[in-house]
Amino acid sequence: MSPAVSQVDFTVLKGEKFGIFGPNGAGKTTLISMMCGILQPTSGSIHYYINGKEITPKTALHTIGYVPQDFAFYPELTAGQNLVYFGKMYGIPTKQLHEKINVLLEQLGLSHVKNKKVMTFSGGMKRRINLAIGILNDPEILFLDEPTVGVDVQSKHAIIHLLEELNKNGTSILYTSHHLKEAEDFCDRIALIDQGKIIGLGTLEALTTQHEVENLEELLIRLTGKTMRD
Amino acid sequence: MRKLLASIVKELQLLAHDKVGLLLLYLMPVVLVFIITVVQDSAFKLVNDNQLELLVANKDKGALGDSLVAVLKQSGNFLLDEKNDLSEKQLQEEGLSGGKLASIYIPENFSEAIENNTSTITQLILTEFGVTEDTLAVAERKETSLTIYFDPILQENFQYTLVTNLQTILSGMENKVMLENLFEQMGYDEIPEHIAAKMTGEKTPIIAKHASLDGQQKMTPNSTQHNVPAWSIFAMFFMVVSLGGNLVKERLSGSFVRLMTIPPSFMYTLISKMLVYLGVAVSQLFLLFCIGHLIFPSMGLPQLQIPDAFLQLLIVSILSGMAAVSYAVVIGTYAKSQEQANGFGAVSIVIFAAIGGIWVPTFVMPDYMQTVALFSPLHWCLEGYYVLFLKNGDWNALSSSIIFLSLFVIVCQILTFVKLKMQNYL
Repeated sequence: MSPAVSQVDFTVLKGEKFGIFGPNGAGKTTLISMMCGILQPTSGSIHYYINGKEITPKTALHTIGYVPQDFAFYPELTAGQNLVYFGKMYGIPTKQLHEKINVLLEQLGLSHVKNKKVMTFSGGMKRRINLAIGILNDPEILFLDEPTVGVDVQSKHAIIHLLEELNKNGTSILYTSHHLKEAEDFCDRIALIDQGKIIGLGTLEALTTQHEVENLEELLIRLTGKTMRD
Repeated sequence: MRKLLASIVKELQLLAHDKVGLLLLYLMPVVLVFIITVVQDSAFKLVNDNQLELLVANKDKGALGDSLVAVLKQSGNFLLDEKNDLSEKQLQEEGLSGGKLASIYIPENFSEAIENNTSTITQLILTEFGVTEDTLAVAERKETSLTIYFDPILQENFQYTLVTNLQTILSGMENKVMLENLFEQMGYDEIPEHIAAKMTGEKTPIIAKHASLDGQQKMTPNSTQHNVPAWSIFAMFFMVVSLGGNLVKERLSGSFVRLMTIPPSFMYTLISKMLVYLGVAVSQLFLLFCIGHLIFPSMGLPQLQIPDAFLQLLIVSILSGMAAVSYAVVIGTYAKSQEQANGFGAVSIVIFAAIGGIWVPTFVMPDYMQTVALFSPLHWCLEGYYVLFLKNGDWNALSSSIIFLSLFVIVCQILTFVKLKMQNYL
C-alpha cells in the first residue's frame, strides 16, 4: 500500500496564508491531520516555531486552531454551550472566554442564536459555529479544511472576512478548498499536491507564469490532468 | 480539574437534552420492576394467599367424600364449585371451558374403599398385638383413587402444591377412620372426647423461619425483596445501550477529531462519561429502592425493606454501578458502529442476566450452569444484594461479591485503556 503523503517538504511563515490544493484523494486532509496532531507520521517530522524558537509538537497543539471539513461540535447542545465547553478544554479563563464568545458570535452574526441548539441551524450557520470554535483560543496557526464548503455567499463573505482579520493580527493560516477563485484571492502562497507528493510550490503568480496558464484552475488541470479521481 | 468539570457539565447537558435517553434510563427500569413484581407477586399469592378455584364432582356413596369436600372448604385455600351430576369426562370439559385451574373427581367407592382399607390395617394391628387372632377376617384391599384434572397452563409447582395438600387431608381422614375402627374393635362407640381433642389440638408445631446471617430476622423474602434489586441491576447494566452507543457516536463524530487536537481532552471525556453514568446508575438504584419502599405498599405490593447496613449497601451499589459503566465503556471502545454497540451490548446483558440468576435463581439451575453463572457480573451484583436484602449479612459475607466486582471493573478498565492507547486516543 502506498503512503497517503510522501516526501512532502515545505515551510509556512508567520502571518502567511498558505493554501494546499489538489484533486480528491491527493492527501490534503492527511497532511493537515498530521500537522494538527490527529495522525502521527510514520516517518519524517514537523517543526513548529513561535517567535523564532522551536516548540515541541505537544506545546504546539495548545497554540493551533483546527476547523475540520466535517462539523465538529455537539448538535444537541446550544451554540453557547458548545463554545463554553471547547473554550474550557482550550483552558481559556471563564471571564475571558465569555467575552470572547460574545465577540465571535457578533462577528459571525450568530448572537441571536446563542441559546439555540446547533442542530436547528442552517448549513451556513453550522459552518460559522464550526469556525468560531476553531478560533476560540486565538491560535498562532490555524488549519482550515474546506471552511466554506456548502455555504451561501453571505456566510462565505463573513467567514473570509473573519479569517482576514485573524491573519492581520498575526495568525498563520493553512487552508484547503475546492473554491479555487476564493483561494486565488485569499492565499499568499500555495502548494499543489497530488498522490501524496508536492507537484508545485510558490506564489500563484509565479506558478501560473512558470506553467503558462491563466489561473489556479488551469494550473491544477495542467499539473494533475483531466482524469477524474475517486 | 477545570477541564474535567467542563466535560462533566457537557455530558450532563447532553443527557438533559436527550429526553428519550432519560426515559430509557429512568422510566423503563421503573416500569420493568413494577411489572415483574406485580406478576411474580400474583403468582406467589396464587399458591399462598389467593383461593384456587376448584371444580368438584363428588360421586361418593358414603360419608368420606362429603367430609373431604367439607375439609377442602374449611381449609380456606380453595373456592369450591360443586357439580356432583357431572361425569368424569364432563368434569374435564367443564373445568377447561369454565376456567377452573383444577377439577377433582371423587369416585363412587371412595368411602367404601378407604373404610375397607383402614379396617384391614386395624385388623392387622390388633392381630399383631394379640388382641385378636381372627386373621381370616382381614379383607382384601379395595382400590380407589382420587383424580385431579389440571388445566395445562397451571405450572408444575402449583400442581405439586395442590397434590401435597390433598394428600395431607386424605392422610388425616384415613388416620381418623383407622382410629375409629381401633376403638370400635375394642368396644368403644367412638373415640373418647379427650383423646379426640388432643389428636386435633396438640400437633407438633412447625415454625417456619428464614435464615439470616446475623441471627436476627428483619427481612421477609417476597417478590419485592427479590425483584427490586434484581431488575434494578438488569436496568443498570442495560445502560450499555445508552453509554456504549454514546461513546461510539463520540468517537465517530467530528467533535472527537477536534478534541484530538486539544490533548488530553479524550481522557477527560472518557472519565466524565464514566462519572456521569455512574451517577445515573446509582440514582437509578436510589429511585427504584425508594419506589419499592414508599410506593409499592400503596399499590398492594409488599414493601421493600431497606437493609440497616447502609454503608455496605452504598459500596455494593457503587461497585455494581462501576461494573455496569465499565462494561458499557469496553463495548463502546471496541465496537465499530453504534449498531454494533447497541446490538451486542443488549444481547450480552440479556445473556448475563439469564445466566446470572436475574430471571430464575441460580440454585434451580443445573450444576454446570451454576458454574457458568460465576462469570456473569450481574450474578455478583445480585449476590451482594441478596446478602444485604435477604440475609442481613456483614462485610465478610459480602467479600466475594466485592472482590469479583472489583476485578471485573479493573479488567474492563485495562481492556479500554489498551484499546484506546493502541488507537492513539490517550
